[in-house]
Amino acid sequence: MASHPGSLAQQEARFGWKTVAPSLLLIALLIVYPVAYNLYLSFFEVKLSGQNEFVGFNNYFDLLSDRAFYDSLTVTVIYVIGSTLGTTLLGLGVASLMNHEFPLRGLVRGLVLLPYIAPLISEVFAWQFIFDPVNGIYNHMTVEVLGISDERVNLIGTPGNALLVVIIFDIWKNFPFAYLMILSRLQSINNDLYEAATLDGATRWQRFWHITIPELRFVVGAIVMLRFIWNINKFDEVFLLAPNVKTLPIYTYFTAFTGTIEQGLAAAIAVVQFLLLIGLIFLYIRRVLKW
Amino acid sequence: MVIRRILQKTGFYFLILLVLLFTLFPFVQMLSTSLKHQYDWGNPSLIPQKLNWSSYSELLGLKKEEVKVPESIKRLLDNPKLSEEKRQKILARFTSTSDVFPFINYFINTLLIAGTAAAISLLFAVFGAYSFSRVRYRGRSGIQRGVLLTYMFGGVLLMVPLYQISVHVGLANTAIGSILTLVVIYVVQTLPVSLYMLGNYFRSIPESLEEAAQIDGCSRLKTIMLIIVPLSMPMLVTVYIYAFMIAWNEYLFASVFLKNFNEFYTLPIGLKSLFVSKNAIWDRIMAASILTALPVVFVFMTFEKHLIGGLTEGGVKE
Repeated sequence: MASHPGSLAQQEARFGWKTVAPSLLLIALLIVYPVAYNLYLSFFEVKLSGQNEFVGFNNYFDLLSDRAFYDSLTVTVIYVIGSTLGTTLLGLGVASLMNHEFPLRGLVRGLVLLPYIAPLISEVFAWQFIFDPVNGIYNHMTVEVLGISDERVNLIGTPGNALLVVIIFDIWKNFPFAYLMILSRLQSINNDLYEAATLDGATRWQRFWHITIPELRFVVGAIVMLRFIWNINKFDEVFLLAPNVKTLPIYTYFTAFTGTIEQGLAAAIAVVQFLLLIGLIFLYIRRVLKW
Repeated sequence: MVIRRILQKTGFYFLILLVLLFTLFPFVQMLSTSLKHQYDWGNPSLIPQKLNWSSYSELLGLKKEEVKVPESIKRLLDNPKLSEEKRQKILARFTSTSDVFPFINYFINTLLIAGTAAAISLLFAVFGAYSFSRVRYRGRSGIQRGVLLTYMFGGVLLMVPLYQISVHVGLANTAIGSILTLVVIYVVQTLPVSLYMLGNYFRSIPESLEEAAQIDGCSRLKTIMLIIVPLSMPMLVTVYIYAFMIAWNEYLFASVFLKNFNEFYTLPIGLKSLFVSKNAIWDRIMAASILTALPVVFVFMTFEKHLIGGLTEGGVKE
């Protein structure tokens, strides 16, 4: 095709850029630029009024010599691994249950999605009530019914236990996502494979191990990586349920907006978080998206 | 053999029940507590001893606030010489508005902010996704991939810089500026997912339909409006609902930007402030939670089929 000005191909290209430009501009302005600006800010002491002061790598040195940072890193790792593992395994289990026929299956499938789609803020309050030291069913069960514990405890109020509650909450909230992805993959497995295997005398377990698992490998890998990426970034689920569980995002938030406000330092924490993320995203691109 | 079959069946249903109990219990608890009187909260039974609708009627503004006025002031108010304006002023002093939770107000704020953001996101995404899926030009797949990646950068990573930018531009000082910033942030946060989902959908529409329209003299823009948009209605609705839900539930940016503008609170920050205030009354919190969840759950149930399809095709952002 000729490419003198105004040719069809050029018109086409111009139209293509014009239609995508508004979206690109917004994304560049409000995602790409802020990420870069965040890196820039991490080298400054950010003043709420007046000129920012360049401090070189001081924010990073401060961070690396701060115990709270390492604690936060540890909590983040436990949270991310625990919640990802739980979400994926429960999703796998529930998906294989729902893959069988039973009465009212459609209704049950819909109901199981509820935790994932209902507003977080509502769910958080329900969970807080369940673990409430005075009224909650959790304390009623452990103290009065089962007698495991002698006294009512404020589980969410103590950081160590709160981390556990947050992980369980996260599993509860997000397993429907894993379940749905896995189920839709399960249903696309060709039934002939199972029939052929049965004819060859394969047991149930053998069929599961040699047919189902290999077919699911890819989708499970994708879920694990997405959950890793999302959970490292996760702010609201943790902050609203138990702000004393200081994962990196929570730690950033407190540093940026409460007490002695240090937004330069907060930017530095966000950069560390970003670097962790980039590694995972890179893996995701190579293994799942296969670019 | 028969016994084994029966045992297997029972085990299976037991597991299904267990899954249902685990997923639904918090919601049942929410509903139950919202309908209980205070003396009943600690009672593990989920069925209220006596139904208490008062928190719902209070939140929805169905119940008139009782005005408690001391006797001496009542006498003063009965004085016929007092003008109506003054009477209202005195009465207002005794009607404490501090413990009325403006649920409806917050509800409307959230509806407007989320609704606008989702609409703008959808509009941008229709054209962007068309460009990605139908128009041929150099660099297309590159930017498409770039856009897809940006949806992994959210939340806290952008919090400090976006706040600093809005302070520098001067948008953070006024209510209208803050709301504007928030809407634009929601648009951008949902845009990559919307572009991705719509792009995939547009690719499934046969190109021959468009070619026919172009032969009939339709411009590109006209083919988008007359062919692509009508054919993609289910997907457009899906994308809109997802974008809406993301904005409806969002807490972090709302809390950063609307902090100083109480009357423009969205539901998530409004409910959070209710929880930490002196009015932390469980029945009211639970009723507010139910009322916040209801629209989302209702919409999801209505469009369930499309929405689930969207979900499994990557239409999510957390």
